[in-house]
Amino acid sequence: MTAVWRAARAAVRRRKLQTFVIGLVVLMSTATIVVALALLDASSAPFDRAFAAHRGPHAIALFDPAVVTGEQLAAQKTGVSASAGPFGQVTLDLDRNGPGPEGPVTVVGRADPGGPVDKLDLWRGRWATGPGEVVLNQPPPAETRGVPRTVDVTLGGKPFTVVGYAFSLSGSADAWVSPDQMAALHPTATQMLFRFKGDTSTGAAVEARLAAVTAGLPAGALLAAQPYTVVKKQASADIGAYIPLLATFGVLGLIVAVVIVGNVVSGAVVAGFRHIGVLKALGFTPRQVVAVYLTMVSVPAVVGCVVGAVTGFFAVRPLLAEGFDDLGLGGGIGVRPWIWAVVLVGMPTLVAVTAFVPAVRAHRLSAAEAISAGSAPRAGRGLRVQRRLGGLRLPRPVSLGLGLPFARPGRSLFTVIAVLLGVTTVTFATGLAATLDRMSTIRDAANGQIEVHPSDGKSRMVAEGGKPPTAPPTATTKTDAQVEELLRGLPDAARVAAIYGLPVPAVGQTQPLTVVFVRGDFAAMGYQRELTAGRWTRGADETVVASDVMRERGLKVGDRITLELDGRRAVLTVVGELMDGPQGPEGILADWSVLTALAPDRVVHPWEVFYQVQLRTGGDVAAYVAAVQAADPSIDAFDTSQVSDFVVTVVGFSSVLALLLSTVAALGVFNTVVLNVRERRRDLGMLKSIGMTPRQVVTMVLASMALVGAIGGALGIPLGMLAHRYVIPAAAESARVAIPQSVMDIWYAPTLAVLALAGVAIALLGALVPARGAARLPIAEVLHNE
Amino acid sequence: MTNDVVVRLDGVRKEYGDTVALDGVTLEVRTGEAVAVMGPSGCGKSTLLNMIAGLDRPTGGTIRIHGDDLGRLDETRLALFRRHKIGMIFQFFNLLDDLPALDNVALAAQLAGTRTGPARRRALELLDELGIADRRNAYPATLSGGERQRVAVARALMNRPALLLADEPTGALDSRAGEQVMDLLLDLNQIGQTLLIVTHDERLATRCASRVVELADGRVVRERSLERTP
Repeated sequence: MTAVWRAARAAVRRRKLQTFVIGLVVLMSTATIVVALALLDASSAPFDRAFAAHRGPHAIALFDPAVVTGEQLAAQKTGVSASAGPFGQVTLDLDRNGPGPEGPVTVVGRADPGGPVDKLDLWRGRWATGPGEVVLNQPPPAETRGVPRTVDVTLGGKPFTVVGYAFSLSGSADAWVSPDQMAALHPTATQMLFRFKGDTSTGAAVEARLAAVTAGLPAGALLAAQPYTVVKKQASADIGAYIPLLATFGVLGLIVAVVIVGNVVSGAVVAGFRHIGVLKALGFTPRQVVAVYLTMVSVPAVVGCVVGAVTGFFAVRPLLAEGFDDLGLGGGIGVRPWIWAVVLVGMPTLVAVTAFVPAVRAHRLSAAEAISAGSAPRAGRGLRVQRRLGGLRLPRPVSLGLGLPFARPGRSLFTVIAVLLGVTTVTFATGLAATLDRMSTIRDAANGQIEVHPSDGKSRMVAEGGKPPTAPPTATTKTDAQVEELLRGLPDAARVAAIYGLPVPAVGQTQPLTVVFVRGDFAAMGYQRELTAGRWTRGADETVVASDVMRERGLKVGDRITLELDGRRAVLTVVGELMDGPQGPEGILADWSVLTALAPDRVVHPWEVFYQVQLRTGGDVAAYVAAVQAADPSIDAFDTSQVSDFVVTVVGFSSVLALLLSTVAALGVFNTVVLNVRERRRDLGMLKSIGMTPRQVVTMVLASMALVGAIGGALGIPLGMLAHRYVIPAAAESARVAIPQSVMDIWYAPTLAVLALAGVAIALLGALVPARGAARLPIAEVLHNE
Repeated sequence: MTNDVVVRLDGVRKEYGDTVALDGVTLEVRTGEAVAVMGPSGCGKSTLLNMIAGLDRPTGGTIRIHGDDLGRLDETRLALFRRHKIGMIFQFFNLLDDLPALDNVALAAQLAGTRTGPARRRALELLDELGIADRRNAYPATLSGGERQRVAVARALMNRPALLLADEPTGALDSRAGEQVMDLLLDLNQIGQTLLIVTHDERLATRCASRVVELADGRVVRERSLERTP
């Protein structure tokens, strides 16, 4: 065993607290970095990664089997890097005996879930191989939720057993059966899945490549095709909201971790200068001294790094599962090998480099200089400040404490930065939670407390997480007007609105516009608070439009839309933009009288209408829901006043990350106080010897960090507010949603006052344990040793 | 000089693991006395001083200072005891490097709650009495050893302690500065300040003390009264 190793091992054993602090800080920082990198990695182009992992098709093309054969299609290779098919395809009506969507579904005959294109994630059960077996397309559920029961379904009126659930990122089918089964179902189209060579970055590029591959086929062979960009656009909108949020937390986490590790390790080396001097006096060469110190800090750092990486891995898994698995992108998301490599190599390297800088300084010092440098802060620092503080009318322990940070300005600066970043995170997380809460409140108010769906006799609606209905569906016998009358007549009903969506051709628009016709108390339900621009309607010739539709259709406030149905026209002026709008497909809102004007003979069935109900203040939602079902068992009603998954997920993310970063920041403070106390043992002993009580010692030490915390808080709050101001609109933009200004105006004096205390709280939390340790210092021993 | 007992030690014992630092020390110091505790290195002198100052707790026996049984005081009361009853002078001065001389002296009163103004006035009086008022704004690093020890003495006297304890007060000083400090201690005793000095300097003892207590292996082996030499 070398002298260096012996000396390093002895130093590690002797400096148990320092070793523990380095190990703990590196552990927490590594865990933070793993979480941060995994979040950053997951948030960078998640669709593209998941798409690559699924070997997603650039184009899903449907061909007419009467015009072109499967063999002809399989032979098409121009510009194709991989293809799958030909698969028989047919559209059939799906009926379930349990919860879930029903209606027309795309069924494809496939022999297996793998293959060179559109690799399916068969996450439950097995593949359909025999007659009467089907696999349904469904994203894997988050860990916390239950998986669907295997149920029997009917497809096109024939009974099928669901033998598995698979997920196709591209949505190439709603259900799969075996090729033989498909033949029996008489396919109406042949599906081909293509991955192309070269540029496929835009829809136009994909269409050009598809044109090349189908160039030699008979006319009319291609029935329809969908480029992957359509799915990507939808998925990106869902995930987009997460990306700026995760990136913000990720970057903050990285900076906090690096700052804290740097401060702790360099502090440990500086505090050990005296020991360095002793080693030199004993005959260690300067290089050996540097080696001893690098080894001394590396041992706990490596242990902390490994444990921290594993901790981070387990900490980030539920976050990623909650954030991404729900969106069906779990396949490409996780802690990837490069993160392990970066952390397990990078963190010890960072520690070594950080330790190396002061160790080199020690390398240059003579033994005598090193011994004297190690005893206390350099004289002369912060003297003027200390003197002025002494003249203030503050309790002396407080004024003494306030002056301490000025004796070690570099260390104090690092500590301020750590607290600053902690407070920035807490402020951002607080703002984010407040904004989401406000958005949720607005949506809750607008969406009503209760949704009502009359049954058409074929299917029934089930609330998310609710129990499936026990009775088979029966159609309501009531008319639309009677349902509304029923809802108004039940106890506690305050407002009832009827909402009916219908695609209506619009002059100048290539695709029909979804027009959401509303009547009843819709205007009084709170949607006006969702306005992000303009104003609410004042007459039937005006409309407000969901922000997503405004973007998609290139609309702006003031535009006029001409709707045309069965030769009748209605002109509506866009007077406002909404954050989103009522449940269902987003569209433009129009008064029910516009529907009557456009289609006077149209009979609207109650199951086509979506009803919203708001109760009087204090009304019992559960009792109302029960009353609806008692009045007509074929009408389903459920409570919608629950907080959305997105809000829960993001608030969960931000709370966990804010807590993690605050803890790391508090550890930085802890380390600073440990070093300060160690350096000032003699002063503390003297102060106690002249009558400083234990409480006064604690007060002095806490005061020294309270100032650091106050400065960090004062700087961190505006930074957190800035992050909130720029990141949240960016997140909304990524999600293609406009948000009302009111959800951004969430900063009030009491909130800011509490946040201002967050910096002080982080500092005091970190300082408390070493402060109490300082109060217990044995005076005689300290003064004797010094 | 009155006959009130300021310090009463009864069978005081202190062990550090297997090592016995004090072994049944019994001692009294009366008001106005100047007692020197002497002995070879490691005999327990400083340990004895620490016990009397309430800086450390004995393993056995009782220590009473002005009637207070130190063994019955918790840490806070012990700190208050040190603040009000004891003044300490250390071999290496133990001044705060980042405070000027005046504030180092005033500190002892400020910890007791005295406002800055009155504390600084009292500190200035003491520095003036000790002949270093002109150095009141100097930082310890710029003071000579003798000046530092005077500042330390002034700080020790700040709260008018019943007992002044000095641990090798001249040990870190050159002979001239040592002389000055000896004179200072003698003057203090002559105006009634009770003094307990730990030293191995025979000259200091004979100059300042009226009684010498000799320790060896943690025990009092001899006590003798002295005629002070000028």
